[in-house]
Amino acid sequence: MSTCEVAAVKPAEVKLVARDRGGIINPMYDCQPAGAQYAGIGVKDCIPLVHGGQGCTMFVRLLFAQHFKENFDIASTSLHEDSAVFGGVKRIEEGVMVLARRYPNLRVIPIITTCSTEVIGDDIEGTINICNKALKAEFPDRKIHLVPVHTPSFKGSHVTGYAECMKSLVKTIAKGGKPTGKLNVFPGWVNPGDVTELKHYLKEMGVDHHVFMDTEDFDSPMLPNKTIETHGKTTVEDIQASGAAIGSLSLARYESLPATKFLYDEFTVPNHLIDTPYGIANTDAMLRKISEITGKPIPESLVRERGIALDALADLAHMFFANKKVAIYGHPDMVLGLAKFCMEVELEPVLLLIGDDQGSKYKKDPRIEELKQTAHFDMEIIHNADLWELEKRITKGDLKLDLIMGHSKGRYIAIYNDIPMVRVGFPTFDRAGLYRKPTMGYRGAMELAETIANTMFAHMEYTKNKEWILNTW
Amino acid sequence: MPMVLLECDKDIPERRKHIYLKAPNEDSREFLPIANAATIPGTLSERGCAFCGAKLVIGGVLKDTIQMIHGPLGCAYDTWHTKRYPTDNGHFNMKYVWSTDMKESHVVFGGEKRLEQSIHEAFNEMPEIKRMIVYTTCPTALIGDDIKAVVKKVMKERPDVDIFTVECPGFAGVSQSKGHHVLNIGWINEKVETLEKEITSPYTMNFIGDFNIQGDTQLLQTYWDRLGIQVIAHFTGNGTYDDLRCMHQAQLNVVNCARSSGYIANELKKRYGIPRLDIDSWGFNYMAEGIRKICAFFGIEDKGEALIADEYAKWKPKLDWYKERLKGTKMAIWTGGPRLWHWTKSVEDDLGIKVVAMSSKFGHEEDFEKVIARGQEGTYYIDDGNELEFFEIIDRVKPDVIFTGPRVGELVKKLHIPYVNGHAYHNGPYMGFEGFVNLARDTYNAVYNPLAHLAGIDIRNEIPAQLPERIREAA
Repeated sequence: MSTCEVAAVKPAEVKLVARDRGGIINPMYDCQPAGAQYAGIGVKDCIPLVHGGQGCTMFVRLLFAQHFKENFDIASTSLHEDSAVFGGVKRIEEGVMVLARRYPNLRVIPIITTCSTEVIGDDIEGTINICNKALKAEFPDRKIHLVPVHTPSFKGSHVTGYAECMKSLVKTIAKGGKPTGKLNVFPGWVNPGDVTELKHYLKEMGVDHHVFMDTEDFDSPMLPNKTIETHGKTTVEDIQASGAAIGSLSLARYESLPATKFLYDEFTVPNHLIDTPYGIANTDAMLRKISEITGKPIPESLVRERGIALDALADLAHMFFANKKVAIYGHPDMVLGLAKFCMEVELEPVLLLIGDDQGSKYKKDPRIEELKQTAHFDMEIIHNADLWELEKRITKGDLKLDLIMGHSKGRYIAIYNDIPMVRVGFPTFDRAGLYRKPTMGYRGAMELAETIANTMFAHMEYTKNKEWILNTW
Repeated sequence: MPMVLLECDKDIPERRKHIYLKAPNEDSREFLPIANAATIPGTLSERGCAFCGAKLVIGGVLKDTIQMIHGPLGCAYDTWHTKRYPTDNGHFNMKYVWSTDMKESHVVFGGEKRLEQSIHEAFNEMPEIKRMIVYTTCPTALIGDDIKAVVKKVMKERPDVDIFTVECPGFAGVSQSKGHHVLNIGWINEKVETLEKEITSPYTMNFIGDFNIQGDTQLLQTYWDRLGIQVIAHFTGNGTYDDLRCMHQAQLNVVNCARSSGYIANELKKRYGIPRLDIDSWGFNYMAEGIRKICAFFGIEDKGEALIADEYAKWKPKLDWYKERLKGTKMAIWTGGPRLWHWTKSVEDDLGIKVVAMSSKFGHEEDFEKVIARGQEGTYYIDDGNELEFFEIIDRVKPDVIFTGPRVGELVKKLHIPYVNGHAYHNGPYMGFEGFVNLARDTYNAVYNPLAHLAGIDIRNEIPAQLPERIREAA
């Protein structure tokens, strides 16, 4: 394992650069409407209606099914040539009414635009007014929230699309009013396992809260009575109440900030943006922040949980992880959080890839500034990156990696270059059950570190590379 | 009452024209479901887009070709890691996808320069690759980028590359089917007869409409090798760009998937006089029949009979083992279109399975003519079925297994019904003799899965006295 090299004496350099090609080879992210659909399915009694070609919906439903091994309901306006010429708003009207008639429990329909309908210039807000009148006439006893979500695919990525839909949902549905005493928690685009972990902390601290979105039931059971419970748990009432919360805890700068900023601007709900809680120190900061907002102390039980995690990490860090070079790719909040986690366990994240056109925002990200201050090894951060940036550094450059951390779309880079890989982020369709496991929090850090260790061990054994080290441990 | 209005469709009564229940003693030609018509918005249809029909289904299968998608990144991301079509050169087609990553400024000022830049970059980054297909998408079609002009310019600057263009945005047509058509016709118009290859056998054919799902093409290729038939081009399983340019050299076009690829076979017949022979490659009876027809065309019947006898000796006992255990199984097939008519009779004849419901995403009326002729009475034939209809049909026909995609598979799992991947297969290939044994095995493993039985038990109740009806045996 360890190579006992003496580190060269030169100051470490952390570079932030952009992809230098115009085109993409192997994208890291999907487009904005895909992210908007992910936010939409987190709401209970909600079916997003995507205004565009059928592929914009069909493929995204498949993507979610691949990751979660579950089906999610998303509808399409099935845009065709005539709409491209004459406009497609009639298809929204028809889609809304068909959904309302056939799904009697439906309460929310985010109307998600795509590149085609943004280019055509369909008037979504005006159409929603027409639909609201039609709904009121036909269903006087029902309230269905129609949410305009503008997500042209030629801007941003699924990360910004997610943030945009979150913002539109609170903007359309949230209300002010009597303070609820509850905390809004915006975890960003995370797995059900992370949501469960966050809810566990809040319960241990006795903090009343709403999670936006509560995706815990994306991991849903096969039941004797065949009920299907695969849907978001965040209700219309939860979103309504977000405007009267004691505060918003934003765990993801790029995924939750637009929504929490809106809640502050509109309802003066204080917004607390913290570093995404990957690793020990970030989780510490999150718990301290929750304690500070709510006045609730951090209980002994969490001190113990922290200790269990540290105890496990300490078995791995300097024996197996130190000096190992890692590349991490995926959502920016996750990548930057995991980079800090890696440094806690002595892994060296030498290459970070974050994938969309928000370059100027990354330049101002304090977490990147912190990495510049703390990294004791050279690090390259590529924004607007594609996965070819990673692959060509390995196959044509001189990048030597001991580990790749990222989602399943980069699997062939690891497989064909014989590099151990740990799946994190979205989507992770080529490994079983990852959506159920936390990556955030103490337990997430522990489970991730143990997965990394076991992946490295299996690789040592499979390649007969010092597999005898584990002869005794 | 052969056309059926389901309860869930009472608010969209036009769906009645799309669902047919085959009844005894009637002329089914009078009751053909309407197909290849626009989907009703908001119905949660299964359909994809025309771009997907061109890129994901046909063009993207080629093993030596850059797939340059001119549009925002999503169209590339979504048509990547969604298929199982390996190749014999390390799966280049599944590893990579290319996008021009169109941005707002390109919408405003045009995306042609960006396309030109992206094409050069792609060839520069992978200098060993010399072939490319460029696709338009919804926004690049709407803004009117002239991709043919860009490609012409690049080909002039790079004489060693060849590029084909597919102008088929997602909103074209009503389903993926439109994309199949555009690619077929474009290819024959622009690329066939632009290259000649060496002829190495007195018997030559194109094998059309098979996309090497889990190795289908490669399995069938062993038959053609044994028969001494040279396959000029595979359209497009494990295929190469240049082979497809030589399609005019074949003596015969053998068509498996008539829906996605029948167009090019028809054009090859019209323009070059090459006869078209349609076969079914799934199932013992069908495969044997197909081989007999091909061999009859070339006058090599003896070779064909020897191959069939060999394969039957090797695989038929295994098939019969499964048939014994699968007969009476009720199957539903919810796939693209042609597999309905390829499979309904072959699973009935070869495995004793009854297909009780079938739904097609993009089949045309001629597909329904075929499937209704081949399918059974008491079976539902559905065009563009949607989610609520599926629930209701399941209630009516109670299938033991459903051949469909993974997402719908996850849905029916909650109803304790196992699925087998009807698009990408569970553990294929499924074509040919060996392949159909694989299909039988996967069906058996699905139907006899103990978990479906366990899922039905409520642990708060008494332990059920009755053992599961089906007891699994070792194959």
